[in-house]
Amino acid sequence: MFRNQYDSDVTVWSPQGRLHQVEYAMEAVKLGTATVGLKNRDFAVLVALSKPSSELSASQRKIIPIDDHLGISIAGITADARVISRYLRSECLSYKHSYGSTYPVSRLITNLGNKMQTTTQRYDRRPYGVGLLVGGYDEKGPHIYQVTPSATFYNCKANSIGSRSQSARTYLERNLDTFLNCSNDEIICHGISAIHGSLPTDEMQSRNESASQLNITIAIVGKNQPFKILSEKETQIYLTMASEKGAPPANQPYDDDESTSQAGPSTSGPRDPIVAVATEE
Amino acid sequence: MSTIGTGYDLSASQFSPDGRVFQIDYASKAVEKSGTVIGIRGKDCVILAVEKIITSKLYEPDAAGRIFIVEKNIGMAVAGLVADGNYVADIARQEAANYRQQFEQVIPLKHLCDRVSAYVHAYTLYSAVRPFGLSIILASWDENDGPQLYKIEPSGSYFGYFACASGKAKQQAKTEMEKSRFVDLNTEELVKKAGEIIYRVHDELKDKEFRFEMGIVGSETQGIYQINPAVLTELARKAGENANKEDDSGDEAN
Amino acid sequence: MLNNYNSMAQPLWQNGPTPGAFYNFTGGQQQTQKLPKELTAAGPFGTKRSTSSITTGSSVLGIRYDGGVMIAADTLVSYGSLARYQNILRVFPINNNIILGGGGDFADIQSIKRTIDQKMIEDQCYADGITMKPKALSSWLTRVLYNRRSRMNPLYIDVVVGGIEQDGTPYLANVDLRGRAYEDYVVATGFARHLALPLVRERKPKDREFTAEEASELIRKCMEVLYYRDTRNMAQYTVGVCNASGTTIDGPCKVSENWTFAATIKGY
Repeated sequence: MFRNQYDSDVTVWSPQGRLHQVEYAMEAVKLGTATVGLKNRDFAVLVALSKPSSELSASQRKIIPIDDHLGISIAGITADARVISRYLRSECLSYKHSYGSTYPVSRLITNLGNKMQTTTQRYDRRPYGVGLLVGGYDEKGPHIYQVTPSATFYNCKANSIGSRSQSARTYLERNLDTFLNCSNDEIICHGISAIHGSLPTDEMQSRNESASQLNITIAIVGKNQPFKILSEKETQIYLTMASEKGAPPANQPYDDDESTSQAGPSTSGPRDPIVAVATEE
Repeated sequence: MSTIGTGYDLSASQFSPDGRVFQIDYASKAVEKSGTVIGIRGKDCVILAVEKIITSKLYEPDAAGRIFIVEKNIGMAVAGLVADGNYVADIARQEAANYRQQFEQVIPLKHLCDRVSAYVHAYTLYSAVRPFGLSIILASWDENDGPQLYKIEPSGSYFGYFACASGKAKQQAKTEMEKSRFVDLNTEELVKKAGEIIYRVHDELKDKEFRFEMGIVGSETQGIYQINPAVLTELARKAGENANKEDDSGDEAN
Repeated sequence: MLNNYNSMAQPLWQNGPTPGAFYNFTGGQQQTQKLPKELTAAGPFGTKRSTSSITTGSSVLGIRYDGGVMIAADTLVSYGSLARYQNILRVFPINNNIILGGGGDFADIQSIKRTIDQKMIEDQCYADGITMKPKALSSWLTRVLYNRRSRMNPLYIDVVVGGIEQDGTPYLANVDLRGRAYEDYVVATGFARHLALPLVRERKPKDREFTAEEASELIRKCMEVLYYRDTRNMAQYTVGVCNASGTTIDGPCKVSENWTFAATIKGY
């Protein structure tokens, strides 16, 4: 990757009106393993792929419970996610203390967004290098929110972030219409199928393309269902169920949205390095 | 902009030899990349309308909205970075709350605009921060002052308007606007106009899908700011789609 | 100046380099919690804070019935024993599903009401269709009032909160100046706690809630008794009603006065 003079600080706008430091932080999300969030009428489900950093270590925790009605799944710098989760937890707790009820998901995320925004505007801070999928349930039903390092947040029908998540997103888009009326079992299986395409190619081969071997974490929250990370046993049941439900679209080559090799338009004057994401407007 | 790249454009606290603060100009560039936002002031109401470009099918329709409610009767729409927009909306709400706490009445829009613009301006003074990548349109209506409309630029300067636009199709929108005399239009006519302008200036070749969103306040909403009220929004969308159809058939006739 | 009107933003250069000093990294930014200033330093009027109310509203009576709640209070705000302000509403609509009746120091009532109103505007600003529920509001009031009493600086109020919960069930509760709170089918503050509460309780059917008619009739009867028996009461009152179709404030209503028996009373 090549440098230019406008990417040193978050406080510097490029001549094209972009914030390179923020865009680079968005790249950090793609370094984390993939995670998927999706929902049916009454439940939100998070599915995360985890990979131990070495043969001898356990894998990083990908799904962090926040409150009974809410949890997050992360991709990117785990340490940054801990700061965010501590904030979310204390917000939920103090809301519960004041009002005796659960923090509406949309409002919590709005406030988180405003907290994160300050890090994109000050010389002495850097953006959080982590993307979140928030799964929550409140009086307005189940929610999936995507939060990016640029402090933008999106209310989603379903979504996926992390490395090679494009094939998961393609899967989700293709099946989007069916999610609403899915049963819980079905929606979890959809989550597993979606994330299966995000497996590294070599892994897929070594696992013999069997979904029942995946190292994943599943969490669910919804009507009369406090946020729960499924036990290994339950996860195994769903993995088997998913692989029985038909082969996930595993072998199809994923569309590589993260390729940064496209040739940049050659314009005169200073040039921005080409990164995959544009600063969102 | 011949001094671009000569090192005088890296900080908001630095002038270039020809007297510009380039960081502010660059922030304005972020606004120009954003979906179009317009504000129009009618006889007895004021409308903010947004061309919200949909970047993914996976988002809910209400995701990343760019129109905000600041007070009972005050709305705000932004072109530029959505994250900055959310943040400034919060600042504006605090200003309004502050004023209400002290004077037990709604903050006059000019006053609010003054405060918010001062805030935006402060971010153009220091090297430790960057200017907001935002163009902020504020709108209000009340019994005494009628409809009001202001726009704040990334530099922190602001003006009152009869009609204004920001974002991608600012120029086209302005051209469209100059054809009408909005001050004579009633609510229904103004709503239709808002739809027509946004649909007309939307560039299908560049951005495929978009969602029309609007905020309205006026005598017909009892002075309560409303975002995407069902009936009026549908009216605007219909008017917009029809306008596009007419344009197309007109082209064929030619 | 910049940061005076923005409680969210941190001051510029916080944690930035200070000449001649080390960086303050994150974590240093949370200052150790200090005791509130009013507990550690004398104010302009010394360290003693208000221990009594000045202008007061008297009783508030709330009754829960099968489809909602009713809260009644007379329209008098007294200055000591002087019937100083005789046309003041003490029952307020808060939003479409909450009503609130306030007794005690009226300035404190007005103050807390302003804060609550601001919360309702915040609800509107979010434009997400989520509104405050009566249970949440009374919980919040409990926290605020208990906190104030713990700082030895209480708000001298005794409020009744009523309304409809998210699931459509009516809710009625009382919170007082120490942050004590309870909910019941009938709650009362001031003299009504002694005079009206027993009257309502003895008419409560064991197997069911009151109906709207019964509640309305009980309110009328109790306000009459309160008028006769409580010297800080007036013959005029308003009734706040909250049911599935929203909140309304009825009245002012008049207590039917009849003083013919006065001549027959002897021996006082």
